[in-house]
Amino acid sequence: MTAGGGRVWAGAGRAVFAATAVFALIFPLLAGTYYVRLATGIYMFGLLASAWNLIGGYTGYPDFGGAAYLGIGAYTTGILMVRAHTPFGAALGAGCLLAAVVAVLMGSLLLRLRGHYFAIATLGFLLVLQQLAANLDITGGGSGMNLPVASTFTTFYYWMLGALVLAVAAGWALPRVRVGYALAAIRENQDAAQVLGITPLPFKIIAYAGNALLFGAAGGIYAYWFTFIDPPTVFNVDFTIQAVVMTLFGGPGTAAGPVVGAVILKSLDTVLTNRSVFFHNIFFGALVCVLVIFAPRGVAEIARTRGSLLRAVRAELGASRL
Amino acid sequence: MSVQTQIALQNALNGLLIGGTYATVALGFSLVWGILNVVNLAHGALVMLGAYTTYWLFTLFGVDPFLSLPLTGAALFVFGYCVQRGIINQVMRAPFLITFLLTFGLELLITNIAQAAWTADFRSVTTVYSGRSLSVGPLTLPIVRGASLLIAFVVAILLHVLLTRTRLGTAIRATASDQEAARLMGIPIARVYAITFGIAAASAGVAGGLISLSFPVFPAMGAGYTLIGFVVCVLGGLGSVPGALLGGLLLGLLQTYAASWLGPNYDNIVAFSALILVLLVRPAGLLGRVQRFRG
Repeated sequence: MTAGGGRVWAGAGRAVFAATAVFALIFPLLAGTYYVRLATGIYMFGLLASAWNLIGGYTGYPDFGGAAYLGIGAYTTGILMVRAHTPFGAALGAGCLLAAVVAVLMGSLLLRLRGHYFAIATLGFLLVLQQLAANLDITGGGSGMNLPVASTFTTFYYWMLGALVLAVAAGWALPRVRVGYALAAIRENQDAAQVLGITPLPFKIIAYAGNALLFGAAGGIYAYWFTFIDPPTVFNVDFTIQAVVMTLFGGPGTAAGPVVGAVILKSLDTVLTNRSVFFHNIFFGALVCVLVIFAPRGVAEIARTRGSLLRAVRAELGASRL
Repeated sequence: MSVQTQIALQNALNGLLIGGTYATVALGFSLVWGILNVVNLAHGALVMLGAYTTYWLFTLFGVDPFLSLPLTGAALFVFGYCVQRGIINQVMRAPFLITFLLTFGLELLITNIAQAAWTADFRSVTTVYSGRSLSVGPLTLPIVRGASLLIAFVVAILLHVLLTRTRLGTAIRATASDQEAARLMGIPIARVYAITFGIAAASAGVAGGLISLSFPVFPAMGAGYTLIGFVVCVLGGLGSVPGALLGGLLLGLLQTYAASWLGPNYDNIVAFSALILVLLVRPAGLLGRVQRFRG
């Protein structure tokens, strides 16, 4: 491609970006309540996928316990609003902060583990928090907790949009700063990174805490939006898995990939779930299987690098099958 | 004998009994992880299928649950063989996140199809001897649980003999230690993987059959057992039959004592704390070989 072509593309990209931003801002004025809710849901999963991308995509540490931090955000927001009558914004901030602090503490233990061990340990941590929330009094135990009802749904749309923008910005900025270089080195070869003088743990903790903070934000907004939370709904591994699948679908380790994945898959999922909840789970199960077998590096990625999707899929199969 | 001693002994017995079930669950999980290097998140779903097989054989045809265990095992072997051959073998060389996600997808599919087919109702296998128990001195031994523990040992011994004393076992272990060298020796890798996964599924099925005698049977019952399989493998060390047995009994004891101190609702917390502690202090497990786990 010529340099002129590059400039045209960059200009077109900027125009598309600006148009999308304007459209997202005025969307609630144009669309009905149903579509605003739908868009809020899509933003939420875009947010989760972008958050997971920080630790799973850029750092290469497949975290399966992200919903632990979603739960922390949701419960902190809920408890502060109900018991201390804190305004939503402050409660949400506290939820994000607590999620990040817990992530720093847990991360300094869990991020020493590799591969399967890290993945299952994070999953175990999620189950522990779920059980803890069901046993404690302050969380309302197994019967859950009701939050105050907000005056308008549009609020959540903008909160979720704001958090999503923050998450995408983090994903965009990360590969452009020193921390991002260190994380890329750790992802590609941790031992080699260490030889180059990078101490892996602090960098991994930064990515993990960023992921937790954004999951916490999603949880806090989700709690106020749905006005009811209980341990199995917020400490739900489904949130993490959907975030992983959307990221893999859209392209891990890119800023836009997770959002693209969330928009496509959440829309598809909504169409199917409207027919039956049964389809939601079957759809995700089948999607995960098909995706990892045929396009483990993301549909967008193989389509971009190898031209023909079909040829790329064949090459992918040839590389990983026995 | 004081009441305290009696309670402590009864807890020990209960812990060993539930630990036997954990060991049976973990045997297959450990085999697949150790030999195939796949952490099989669908393992609990296989346990669930085993429980349903036993339930249906008992409910529809009146087959005694203990007698139907070989049938359950055989059915699950065929299922496991096909799953590995047709699906998981496609990604055996991919990074571990891929196999991890794939088995999670399989778990979702199997569990939800089971729910669509058999509903989410709790079912139970109630035989004439279900509620009976023996008195051993001051202790109570439910006969179903006692027999389950016995069968756990039998399955473990069979598996150990299979892995260490037969041509197939040698082929399986050779494949685990060096895939390429095994291929050059003429071992059909894809088939060995499928057979290994089939054996693991069969033992998961037997575990499910035993579980159906003491616990309710429903589609989501397996989820907790996958985590248990993992914790047991970490406790006992990966890829060894004695390790899985020891790890299972240990976890059973630990959870039973913890439940009597803290109450019954802290089992996951106890299992997880044990997991983290062992991973950080002795990452190869109590009986395991030294491997690279930390980073």
